[in-house]
Formats: sequence, structure tokens, C-alpha cells
Amino acid sequence: MDAKLKRRLRTPFLTMLALLVLLGANVLLGSLFTTGHAWIAEVLIATVMVATVIVVAMEAHKEPPVIRLFSGVGFFWVAILFALTMVDYTTR
Amino acid sequence: MSPSDTTLRDLHVPTPVIDPPDDYLHVEQTLSSWIFTTDHKRIGLLYLVSITVFFLLGSIAAGLIRLSLIVPDGEIFSNDIYNRLFTLHGVIMVWFFLVPSIPNTLGNFLLPLMIGAKDVAFPKLNLLSWYVFVLGSLFTMFVMIWGGVDTGWTFYTPLSTEYADSYVIAAVLGVIVVGFSSILTGLNFMVTVHKLRAPGMTWFRMPLFVWSLYATSMILVLATPVLTIALILLFAERALGLAVFDPANGGDPVLFQHLFWFYSHPVVYVMVLPGMGVMSELITAFSCKRVFGYKFIAFSSLGIAAIGFFVWGHHMFYNGMSPYAGLTFSLMSFIVAVPSAIKVYNWAATIHKGAIRLDTPMLYAMSWIGLFVIGGVTGLMLASTALDGHVHDTYFVVAHFHYIMVGATVVAFLGGIHFWWPKITGRLYSEPWGRISAFLMFFGFNMTFFPQYLLGYMGMPRRYHVYPPSYQVLNVLSSAGATMLAVAYIFPMIYLIWSLWYGERAGDNPWEAKGLEWTTTSPPPKHNFHHMPVVDFEPYDYPNIAPEK
Amino acid sequence: MSGTVGIKVEEHFHSAEQQRETARLGMWTFLLTELLLFSGLFITALVIRVQHPTSVTAVALHLKFWIGATNTAVLILSSFSMSVAIELSRLGRQRLMLRFMLLTAALGAVFMMLKGYEYYRDYVEHMMPFLPYRSYELAADPASRLFTNLYFITTGLHAIHLTIGIGIMLVMAWLASRTGFLQQHQNRIEITGLYWHFIDLVWMVVFPTLYLLNR
Repeated sequence: MDAKLKRRLRTPFLTMLALLVLLGANVLLGSLFTTGHAWIAEVLIATVMVATVIVVAMEAHKEPPVIRLFSGVGFFWVAILFALTMVDYTTR
Repeated sequence: MSPSDTTLRDLHVPTPVIDPPDDYLHVEQTLSSWIFTTDHKRIGLLYLVSITVFFLLGSIAAGLIRLSLIVPDGEIFSNDIYNRLFTLHGVIMVWFFLVPSIPNTLGNFLLPLMIGAKDVAFPKLNLLSWYVFVLGSLFTMFVMIWGGVDTGWTFYTPLSTEYADSYVIAAVLGVIVVGFSSILTGLNFMVTVHKLRAPGMTWFRMPLFVWSLYATSMILVLATPVLTIALILLFAERALGLAVFDPANGGDPVLFQHLFWFYSHPVVYVMVLPGMGVMSELITAFSCKRVFGYKFIAFSSLGIAAIGFFVWGHHMFYNGMSPYAGLTFSLMSFIVAVPSAIKVYNWAATIHKGAIRLDTPMLYAMSWIGLFVIGGVTGLMLASTALDGHVHDTYFVVAHFHYIMVGATVVAFLGGIHFWWPKITGRLYSEPWGRISAFLMFFGFNMTFFPQYLLGYMGMPRRYHVYPPSYQVLNVLSSAGATMLAVAYIFPMIYLIWSLWYGERAGDNPWEAKGLEWTTTSPPPKHNFHHMPVVDFEPYDYPNIAPEK
Repeated sequence: MSGTVGIKVEEHFHSAEQQRETARLGMWTFLLTELLLFSGLFITALVIRVQHPTSVTAVALHLKFWIGATNTAVLILSSFSMSVAIELSRLGRQRLMLRFMLLTAALGAVFMMLKGYEYYRDYVEHMMPFLPYRSYELAADPASRLFTNLYFITTGLHAIHLTIGIGIMLVMAWLASRTGFLQQHQNRIEITGLYWHFIDLVWMVVFPTLYLLNR
């Protein structure tokens, strides 16, 4: 494998390692802590994984501003769905 | 402006054809050149034919409903048939007529022209969206006529998942398919506006119609998938036994409504925003005046699209939802009225001291303002939980949304069709008949739907075809108005089609309007412009001449 | 073996750069719709959890946690091989790129096989309440049916998307095997990659939502 290819593959390789490590952490939490507030850490880890995929694997950090906007704005709309629906279900 | 050919043709002497015209309509005329076209202008016309067919079908259903409501005892149709009729009417009118009406016909035709592009970003995807639309809509229409669905277009659970004895599964699948068509259109338009603007066409030089199409596309892209998942869950429950809303097992039918209305409220803005965009074009052209508050109107379009996602619970105030949620949704519903009001004020300010020409499109535009204000104000009334408690599920609601969807959207659609007819077809329609139809429409519409406000306020429920005899007079009045309205819609179909063969040929810019679409020929060439434009002028740079006293 | 890579510009675009960016923006917009699609399922999961917390926990403990976790790792590996394929396409290394595209599809198929085995185990362990002829393990807890059904709907919808992705990968690999492909359509590999990464991303939310958080 030549040097140019090796350089190019560094980021995807490190991304994969990071994602596997984070997955391992979540699996550990899930198998050891089946009660309590471990879910908060698990949600955070999953969020970091999702963000890593979008920013690094899908190369959103290299894209022009309009694509960066589109890559993030969906989550805001998901938040609207979640927030207002939960206003109903948490106040019944 | 190139010289235009406006001499009247003597019908008995055919025009000598030396060179066949090379505009988009005549460049190829085989059936396959239409069915396999990727030209956005032809796709716009394909959609126009499709939605007109559905408009006719939906109107027939409406006519039968109004016929049935002439008598208070429901003798004309059985309960079952009546339920199927209003479901047919709702499904067809909302999904197969209103949602695609302005965006997929006028929008498809005009968007690339208005920004100086040769076509949309993904022309083949555009054609695919039409194929998907035809496939889904024909399938659903077939299902609805073959046996029908009786749940209403809202498909509430558990009626739709468990108790309805009608073709819910098939209808739901058809609607899911048509949803893909909406998504593809929205996707195409958004990317086109971002990426295919001509040199010099900055965001703030674009016509306001383009801003409204962009806002509409935002909604189509963000909201339609949630309808898709709501219907998939409905399908899974009814067809596969994978129940998630089933109250017998502790499920919540209201959850379906949350998912359904998360889409279905923003979709009403899909139906109204393009009409608002058309309004900006008509009002400026026929007042011969620059638009008042361009940026306010542009950002209001985006504001309506965004805030429109926060209000869906106002369809659910009294179905078991928490009253605190009701409070939140009610507040947001009041807020969403603000950008719409801003637009109406700005249009009024645009007309003020303009050189007003009362041609047919302007008559429609003026109707729009009056009818939209009535519809919008009654919407505010419905946003108040206290008032809504009294009129929820009555004809008051029916009147409100028809004032917006028919009084605003259809009126804007007709106004736009008349305004851009010369550009699309190269022909002029008959102006006297246009004005007659516009007046007839205004009176017929009000006669049909204003009594329904009164009926609803007095307590007549919606989706019922029996009612106490004391309501009969208003019902008969409404049905009589519907007849006038039907005539008002039939007239344009006749004289517009007539103009295709016998109408006077139009020049490039018969209205002397501003905008890139008026700088090219009528009809435009296949690639829109003979010379690709470079934009160095502001939008709506009308001379602002006040009328002479 | 490797010539300059590029794209053939279509007639309504004025430059290759415009076409590339337009294609990417189009795919991101499509992925936006997919995000909203799956979000309906996630909010349903949250609502059922809030209304029936103990039932949901009972179901989660019956789900095949380790198969789910392994499947997550499989998809992460497939995303890596997809990224490799994209980098190879940028360097014009057509044959090696094809190998990694096929590897990506193969890893997707591994996921599907594990999923199939998981569904088989669900059947054996009486965790399919929608089957009218078979008893249900948690029948004493009617509300548990809701979350179990949601598990099948969510993983089923994801599996459909993954199957489509595998299909697209194979078709794209076949098209990309022709000479001159990378000189004319290199960005199609990148666009396919965006979709593939997104399927991985969705699973990274599905796994915690269904298997992990409710234990």
C-alpha cells in the first residue's frame, strides 16, 4: 500500500476505532448497569457516535456551509417533534 | 423586448407556416416526447392535466355531498356512502389536488425561469416524481371508487386500524406512495434554488414566488416523512397485527394523531404558501409597483414554514391531550398568524397608490385578500381553546379551512394560471369571460361557505348527513352557492382550452411585468432562454407611477 | 490503471463543481427525510416508555442484546470499508475500489444474516405477539406487546433500507466496473457512500433505543 493511500485511510481507520471503542463502552454499561441512571451516559455516547459519523465519516466538516446546515438542521426538527409531543405525555 | 406578434388571426385563413416554432411545446410532439420528457415545463403541464382530473373528481364528490345535505333526514345517500363520499373528497382534494397544485404546475414551470436556470437540479427525478404521483393517486382513486374508505381523510385510530370495514390498507399505501412524489419535488426545488441561480441572481433578487416555493419545499421535505411513518404504523397495525396504538393493550390512539398532525398541519402551509407567492407576483404586476417590504415577505414565508411545525396540537385540543399541551399549542397558533398578517399588510401597502389594472388575475388577487383574511381570522378563533371547545368538529371548522384552501389556494391558483397562461401557452385568454368567472367565483364561494360558519356556530357537526330541520335553510343556501361555484370553475376550463386554438397569440410580455420569465419568448424555448441571463437588476423594479387623477 | 477521476457534466449544469455540489446537497436533503422518517419511530418508543416503563424494560431484557451489539460493530466495519472505497475512487484505483464496495455489501449481508437468526430466536422464544397461532412469552403484561411490535417495525424498516442499500451497492459496483467509469461518474461512489453511512447512523440510534436504554 503506497504512502498516499495510507495517508488517506488514516481518518476512516481512526473513525472506525473510535466508533468501536464507544460501542464497547455502551455495551459495557448496558451489560453491567441494568438499573439506575446509566441511560444518561448511554445516550451521550450514542450522540457522540452519531455526531462522529456525520462530521467525520460523511465529511460534513469539509463541506460548504449549506451542506453543513442541511446535515444538522434535521435534528432541530426532530427536537420539535420530541419536545412538543412530550409536553403532552409528561403533563397528563 | 423583442417585437411581438399580436395581429388577430382570421380563422378562415390558416397561418402560413414557414418554419415550425422551436418553443418547448412544438419542438417535439410525439406522445413519448411528452411521457418521457425531462423538461420542467412539460412536466408542469403533465401535472396540470393530472391535478385537473382530480379536481373534477373531488368536485363531483363535493357536489354529491352538498346534494345530500339539501334534505335534513339523509334520505339521498346511506350513512356508509356519505362517509365514503367525504373521505373521497378529502383525500383527493388534499393530496391529489391542493398539495401538488401550485408547486407542481406553476412551480415546476416557473422556478427555473425565474432564477435564470435551464432546468431544475434533477430533471429525471422531476419526471420520476410525476410517475410516482400518477401511480399512487390512480391506485388510491381506484380503491376509493371501487369500495371506498369511510374513516375521513384523517384516518384516525382505532377506527382505521380496527373497526373500519373498508379498504383502509390499500388507500393508506396509495397515499404513502404519493408522499414520495411530494418529497422528491421538495428536494428538487430546494437544491435548485441553492445551486442553479443565474450569475447575479442573489437570494434577495429572487422573485417572492421563489421564496414561497422554497419555504413550501422545506415543509414537504421535513413533514412528509412523518406522515409516511404514521401511515406505515397504521398499516402495520391493521395488516400485520403489529399494534402500537391499540388501546386494548395500553396503547394510545392519540399518538397516531400526534404523528399525523405533525405533517398535516404544516401541509396546510404547503397549500397556502405557494398561493401567497403567486399573490406577490400578481399584486406587483397589476399595481405596477415595487413590492412593499420585500424582505419582510421573504422572511415571513420562511417564518410561516418554521412556526407552522409548532402548532399541530390545535387539531387535538379535545381528544384527551393534556391541557398544558393545549395551552402551548394554542399560544404557538396565535404566533403563527403574525407572519401571514405581515404579508397581507405589505400587499395592501403595495397596492396603495399603485396604477391598478383590474384584469382577471388582479380580480382573483383581490378576492384572495378578502377571503384569506376571513379564513385567517376564524383560524385565530379556532386557535383559542375556549372557542374551539364550542365549535370543534362543527361546520365552523369546515368553513374556516375551505376559506383558506378554496378561497385562498384555489383562487391564487386560478389567478396564477391566468397571469402566466400567455407565457405557458403563447395565447391570450378571453378577458371578459375571465372577469365574469372571477366575479361568479367570489359570489358563489361566499354563498357556499359563509352559511357554514353560521351552521357550525349554531352547532351543526361536521361529517354528519342528518341534521335538525332548523338548519335546512342555511344548508340549501350553501348548496345553491356550490352550484354557482361549479359554474365559475367550469367557465375557465372552457375558455382557457378554447384559447389554445383560437386565442390571440401572445407576445413575450403582454402584461408588461417584471421578472426573468417575461424576458423570454411566449412560449419559452426548450432551454428557457436564447441567451442565458446575467442578473443586474432588483426584483419588481416597476416604475411606481401613481394613477393620474 | 488509474487515470484522472472526474464527472461528465450534464447539460443543465455549467461546471463539474456545480454538478458535484448539487448531487451532494440532493443526497443530504434525501437523508434529511430519512431522519424524520425514523424519528417517528423513536418518538413512539419514547412515548411507550413513558407510559409503560416496566413493560418496556421487560421486553428489552428479552431482546438479543449481544446480536444487536455485534450487528452494530458489523455496520461500523462496513462504514469503514465504504470510506476506503470512496478514498480509492478519488485516487482512481478502480479494481481495488470494487473489492471494497463488494466487501461493504458483504458486511451488510452479514448484518442481515445475524438479523435473520435473531428473528428466528425471537420466534423460538415466543416473542412474536403478532402471530395469532403462537403463544406470547409476556402475555401476562399486555402493554409489553406495544414495545415488542415496535421492535419488529423499527428493525424491519431498517432492514428494508439496508437491503435497498446492499442492492444499490451491488448495482453501483457492476456499473463502476466498466472502463472509464471513474472518469465520468466518480461522485456517484461518494453519493452512495453517504447513503450507506446514514444506514449505519440510523442503527446507532436504533440499538440504544430498543436494546440498550431500557435494560
